[in-house]
Amino acid sequence: MTAVLAGLGRYGLWCVDFVRAVWVHGPPKGQTLHEAFRIGIKSLPILLIISAFVGTNLALQGYNAFKPLGGQRLVGMFVALAGVRELAPIIAAAMIAAKAGTEMASQIGVMRIREQVDALEVMAVNPLAFLVAPRLIGIVLMLPALTLIAIFVMLSAAYGVSVLQLGLAGHEFIQFATESIQPIDFFYGALKAMFFGLIICTVSCYFGFHCGKGPEGVGVATNRAVVTSSVICIVLNYFVSELLYGGAL
Amino acid sequence: MLNALAAIGRFGRFSGAIATRVVRRPLFGRQVVEQTWTTTTRCLLPVVAVTFPFGMVMALQGLEIFRLFGAERMLASLISIATLREISPVLASVLVAAQGGSSCAASLGAMRIKEELDATEVMAIDAIKYHVAPRVIAMTLACPLLNIAGSVSGVAGGYSTAVFIKGESGGIFMAELWSFMQPVDLYGGLLKTTVFGLLIGLISCYHGYRASGGAAGVGKAVNDTVVHSVVAFITMNYFLTSALFGAVAP
Repeated sequence: MTAVLAGLGRYGLWCVDFVRAVWVHGPPKGQTLHEAFRIGIKSLPILLIISAFVGTNLALQGYNAFKPLGGQRLVGMFVALAGVRELAPIIAAAMIAAKAGTEMASQIGVMRIREQVDALEVMAVNPLAFLVAPRLIGIVLMLPALTLIAIFVMLSAAYGVSVLQLGLAGHEFIQFATESIQPIDFFYGALKAMFFGLIICTVSCYFGFHCGKGPEGVGVATNRAVVTSSVICIVLNYFVSELLYGGAL
Repeated sequence: MLNALAAIGRFGRFSGAIATRVVRRPLFGRQVVEQTWTTTTRCLLPVVAVTFPFGMVMALQGLEIFRLFGAERMLASLISIATLREISPVLASVLVAAQGGSSCAASLGAMRIKEELDATEVMAIDAIKYHVAPRVIAMTLACPLLNIAGSVSGVAGGYSTAVFIKGESGGIFMAELWSFMQPVDLYGGLLKTTVFGLLIGLISCYHGYRASGGAAGVGKAVNDTVVHSVVAFITMNYFLTSALFGAVAP
């Protein structure tokens, strides 16, 4: 328990250091686009596969859940609400944490144990501003875009399953789906994604910077990065949803 | 493309090697129990910490929809069915892949890099039998166990939002909890997570066992483990759901 609290405190202090470093030194030029490409484009194929299959399962389970009530037509509504509001942001965040977050933690961890981070400091380059800031900007730019793509793929896959496998009427699916969500829901999804990107990047880089000795150290840091960032994202998702959809605003 | 096919082939041969080790004596029972215990206890907190808030979110969003129709009674059965069939198996498996699978790949990878696996072979102990097979069995057993914990905490999360925060009646929630439940909902999730656990175990051990190139190699093995196993079991999930819950057009 005390170890968790101490870790939380170290993370907070690290974030303060990071903000101060970026404030003083500014992000390095020319790195951000490269990182954005690496985070966004490299994660895209996996995200497409995952969100397509989550969409198919949403349609199957929605069909099963509403069948006893005779409301198979509600599948479109169920898929649109669950997919756009909750699942697409969460799935995109979890996949980016698994793909880009682990990559950040292991890259920075390897640099730490090979003393390349110290070498940067010796060259009077602030490692926080140089290594973390481009990754942070990259992920905050890319994750909302990936979330919107995930929403699109999820809904298309659900439509495909509903029409081809379950034999529902396509126009009803589209009608119920469009009636149940508003354009603002897409904006909220992107907003959530930005927030998740912030958490994933800072948590993963924090674990990379505090990596232990040797190959196990990198393995442990990578492991903790993905678990901690996805747990924090899902826990905070409740509060963000309560704020956005719970009638508090 | 050719590389991917070659990797799939290597993975198949590796799985076959594990399968022959599992059926032949001696089985290292102690290792299996130990690994199952560590995997379950390590993943328990993340699984509960993820399914509980997800149950809360389901209650939050579900209540808003059901209030449109004046059908708040339906909330409990929606939460229990969604949790048992889909949410808990998938989220628990994601967390098992992220926590158990990645730590399995990290420890096997570190053993490979430090030549501990070779040392085991030199001592005339089959490394796959002693180090790998128990981990695969442990993951296959731990995943359904964690799914049970995840289901309970998901429904508890839904209950706490609906009753304590949104002021629905707790009695109605409990009464409606099982009203649409089928036997297949109870064992379907366990069956799914057993398959998912097997996939996660095989993929994580494959990447850990074949790690190379120092500390960076371990990092890459962990990264590949999480990504590949999540893609594999989510794809599998579609087929299992179609088969188990019979969602085919009449």
